[in-house]
Amino acid sequence: MLTAHELTKRYGDRTVVTDLSFTVRPGTVTGFLGPNGAGKSTTMRMILGLDAPTRGHTTVGGRSYAAHPAPLTEVGALLEARSVHPGRTAYHHLRALAHTHGIPRARVEQVLALTGLTDVAHRRVKGFSLGMGQRLGIAAALLGDPATLILDEPVNGLDPEGVLWIRNLLKSLAAEGRTVFVSSHLMSEMALTAEHLVIIGRGRLLADTTVTDFVRDSGAGTVKVVTPQASDLVPLLTAPGVDITTDTPGTLQIRGTDAEHIGRTAAAHGIPLYELTPNAASLEEAFMDLTRDAVEYPATLEGAAA
Amino acid sequence: MTTATLPHRVTPARVLRSEWHKFWTLRSTWITLIATSALTAAMGAGLGAAYDGTGEGGMDTVVFVLLGTQFAQINLGVLGILATAGEYSTGQIRATMTAVPRRLPVLWSKAAVLAAIVFPLTLLTNLVTFPLAQSFLSGTDQSAALGDSGVLRALVGNAAGLTLLAVLALGIGALVRSVPMAIGAFIGLIMIVPEVLAMLPYEIVDDAVRYFPGKALETLTTAQPLPGTASPGAALLAMVLWTTATLTLAATVLRRRDV
Repeated sequence: MLTAHELTKRYGDRTVVTDLSFTVRPGTVTGFLGPNGAGKSTTMRMILGLDAPTRGHTTVGGRSYAAHPAPLTEVGALLEARSVHPGRTAYHHLRALAHTHGIPRARVEQVLALTGLTDVAHRRVKGFSLGMGQRLGIAAALLGDPATLILDEPVNGLDPEGVLWIRNLLKSLAAEGRTVFVSSHLMSEMALTAEHLVIIGRGRLLADTTVTDFVRDSGAGTVKVVTPQASDLVPLLTAPGVDITTDTPGTLQIRGTDAEHIGRTAAAHGIPLYELTPNAASLEEAFMDLTRDAVEYPATLEGAAA
Repeated sequence: MTTATLPHRVTPARVLRSEWHKFWTLRSTWITLIATSALTAAMGAGLGAAYDGTGEGGMDTVVFVLLGTQFAQINLGVLGILATAGEYSTGQIRATMTAVPRRLPVLWSKAAVLAAIVFPLTLLTNLVTFPLAQSFLSGTDQSAALGDSGVLRALVGNAAGLTLLAVLALGIGALVRSVPMAIGAFIGLIMIVPEVLAMLPYEIVDDAVRYFPGKALETLTTAQPLPGTASPGAALLAMVLWTTATLTLAATVLRRRDV
């Protein structure tokens, strides 16, 4: 269990995180989503005691991270920025970390095997690819067999095989009853791994929900309508909040109302419908809708971010 | 050690063990230590062999034989800086401080490991370099024996001074968090600032300059204290104070600032 309570972080006059409160529960993967610059990494650094919050506090397993006598057995963390001396070998990097907690050599070898690094364990990290670096970061996170895992953008730089490996790893760690908190700026990635979502934008909480509820409530769904009398139907449906677009003649994409209302309206006016298809919002669209106002540097071309 | 049987938890001894492990698992450590010792011994022997018995009028014999430690103070200072500032430039510090979120044991352990390695190594190097150089110097005005008054004290004093300088540099590295900036500050403090201050026409400044780390190390290295310099005891005390003050400041900053 991991909590953030009214967390605020200011650097000079720039506020990076504002009054952020959320709870991450064990047994599921919780996605920590937000556009780049939303404050995800800063929040994670505050949880780990690397940055001190300006206000508020965080707890892991009931107390602040630094108050744990053996923090690596409580929380394993993979930070976005590389946290390894490139001149040391993977094996010695892990051994040095293990020494601080009296973790035996056998466990170091175990996590090297678990992350597929056994063959390169005695090579200096300098020569590692991005993917190998990520694996080493995950090996370090797993070293203390922690109850909570905090991973900042773990799939960054991984090849498809590595991405799949991380997804399965996160799910199996959660299935073992651990708390798994994973940040990403990609909703599509989280849709495949996470069950719960904490979404932030410009350092503020935008949503704390489940993936299922998020899609259902986002209201970003469109209804596809095919009719020979599109020009008759459009004025009947036009209302505040309803957005109707058409790309091919006779086909409408309607947002802001539902299929039932469209069907009844068409029936009441004797307009034949060849097709009436509700599209559940894709997660990515819903996410972009939610964070549209919170993107730090929005692309100026409409739709360019898609 | 029998720590493996204890439950997993962070203890000062374990942090020390971790820093010890980190220190020896970087190639730069080995290169620096070997180069430093070899250079000191080679320069001592070279100077001894080349000495024609005239010219160095009045230079202290231990200072003369250990001229190579001029390089040693820079090398060992850089080694200290790499132990702290090097962790910031590589990002290693995030892993280190995540494992030891109380932070301060890391600084103390780094200082202890560095001192525990530098002191015996420099002492051994000095004890080898002195007789090596003297084997070329018999019959000259630089001739001296280990048993002569002040010689052994100067050889040990030099090793202690070099160790304190290395730990001082480690503290500067922890304060500044950047390798090039820390090296600049270190060299400025031991070599440039005292020279600049010595040019000022005030006697009080001249007195103060004697207690700057670089000058104090010179004093510690002399077998026969010269008039107008600090006593070896005062010089050692001054270096201890410089190093303690820097480490204390580094500890305060480490505790307060974000990593």
